[in-house]
Amino acid sequence: MMDTKIQAFFADKQDLLSEILERYPDYGQRSAVMPLLRAVQDAERHVSELRIKEIADILGISATAVKGVMSFYSTYHEQPVGKYHIQICSTLSCSLAGSDEMYDYLANELDLVNGETDKDGQFSLQKVECLGSCTTAPVLQINDDYYENVGKKRCKHLVDSMRENKLEKPWRERKGDHEGAEKAKPLQKTALKGVS
Amino acid sequence: MDNITSRHDPRFEVTMYKYMGVENSHKLDFYEQHGGYQTAKKALTTMQSVDIVNEVKASGLRGRGGAGFPMGVKWSFMPPVDGRQRFIVCNADESEPGSTKDRFVLEDDPHQLIEGMIIAGYAIQATLGVIYIRGEYHLGYTRLYDAINEARAKGYLGKNVLASNFDFDLILHRGAGAYICGEESALMNSFEGYRANPRLKPPFPAQAGVYGFPTSVNNVTSIASGVHIIAKGADWFKSMGTQDSSGFHHVQISGPAVRRGVYEVPMGITYREIIFDLAGGVTEPVKAFIPGGSSCPMFPFTDEYLDLTMEYGVVAKAGSMMGTGGIILIPEDKCIVDALANVVHFYAHESCGKCTPCREGVSTWLPKMYAKLLAGLGESGDLELLEDVSHNIRGRSFCPLADACIMPVQASIKHFRHEYEYIIEHGKSMYAKKSRWQE
Repeated sequence: MMDTKIQAFFADKQDLLSEILERYPDYGQRSAVMPLLRAVQDAERHVSELRIKEIADILGISATAVKGVMSFYSTYHEQPVGKYHIQICSTLSCSLAGSDEMYDYLANELDLVNGETDKDGQFSLQKVECLGSCTTAPVLQINDDYYENVGKKRCKHLVDSMRENKLEKPWRERKGDHEGAEKAKPLQKTALKGVS
Repeated sequence: MDNITSRHDPRFEVTMYKYMGVENSHKLDFYEQHGGYQTAKKALTTMQSVDIVNEVKASGLRGRGGAGFPMGVKWSFMPPVDGRQRFIVCNADESEPGSTKDRFVLEDDPHQLIEGMIIAGYAIQATLGVIYIRGEYHLGYTRLYDAINEARAKGYLGKNVLASNFDFDLILHRGAGAYICGEESALMNSFEGYRANPRLKPPFPAQAGVYGFPTSVNNVTSIASGVHIIAKGADWFKSMGTQDSSGFHHVQISGPAVRRGVYEVPMGITYREIIFDLAGGVTEPVKAFIPGGSSCPMFPFTDEYLDLTMEYGVVAKAGSMMGTGGIILIPEDKCIVDALANVVHFYAHESCGKCTPCREGVSTWLPKMYAKLLAGLGESGDLELLEDVSHNIRGRSFCPLADACIMPVQASIKHFRHEYEYIIEHGKSMYAKKSRWQE
């Protein structure tokens, strides 16, 4: 039999571990629970029971306490998410820009419903709440990156490029003053009274 | 001379957002070349901390995170220095639907926030600062992380900042997706490594905040405004806006506007100017607008409300709140029941479950009632029940999250009661669902 014992996550990552722990004062080491969870998840796409126990032992708190923190937040996963974790913002501004239809399109195209991961571990589809990209709605977050102003064509293109493992990094949408104050100059229309 | 209350005013200049979107604006070199950290130097080497608190007080700056509490006054609540650790916390957990103003500061001008934190820390004599950034803002996190390291390497953070004998360092902490962390006491629990349930107040953060130490929690654009107030003076800040609401704010326009986006505007500007002059008008008929993020009660899209000026007092008197300045336009043919179901779903998802009115009311009953209406199963009495439930939740929850859900529900019933009545009577929305997804 091969030794099936799984190595501790931080066993060969002592630098990362101490960098995280050193961010916080000695009396506040428990604050490291969130960044430790994040570090594990970034590498393994989820945080398993085994890793929860490991984090608990590092911090000297119970595994239940770690799990209690983990389960409070919506971006930690107990089951692995796909290589492409597609998160659709579904809150009001995105919904007004068509995110419901975008969800229907992706659900059909990927044959997944909200919260599912495909059997190959390639795609996960998840509806999420406001991502703070309301002025460039609708927005998709694929893994860490925001894809803004995603219209039908672009959405199809994104799915195609993920299938080919050629997903490009997003460009950043510029509007209003974050495009440059000159371009955002007022239009002198206030004389227009009445709205319709 | 009159105060600046219009972006048309030739005296108005974009300040905080001046370098947004400029290439490399997030780098230290760029920031230093454009006068960066000079204000921190001025503050730390030529001013007493009390002078800074007084200057910010005199400026009339009110918290830009939504509540509108004067920042200088909040700072003055800090107890006298007694040798204990003190904390300045920046709330960068921007998650109110409709809001996206902080994100661009975090991504495009992180040094501006760091400089603001140094000045704020010095003002309240806190040697440690915490920036709590929402988990989804990955680009903002990485840029701020790099910026903090750049600043530390240059001596803007650490021991003896700018040779002033003041020690100051920053802890960058990343959230993980929870709206409630925008509430300051929940944020502190989250930072300390606990579930983000809000804490009972009092004690307020100034008495017992992070790890039980005196703490002040302020929003990103409030902290960054501090830099400009100290650089140019309280009088400059007060030359914009009104007696009630001074300075500039950032409006974020989403929904069917021609030029959606974030705009820096002087306080006292009219919603008409924002929507028609800055955002260029609407792309389709609009029936309502939310003035400051989804928790602020909506206004009908009529002259009466469009001519309101953006001032905390004026908006409150008209029945809503300034909030974060996130304006959402609601199209004429969007079923209001459907729109509110979306809003309710958000708060239901984000309720932390600590107190009964919010857990049972906001998180359970309200979404069920909206689902029933939208499914065409509404019966007579449902609207009254919805009103009754709302009435019983409002003002009775542990933290403001439940009210943030109830107020827009009540406003929608007040202004668009006929749409609720229609859906109950006819079993379908007054307006058919319409495709809104662009090519």
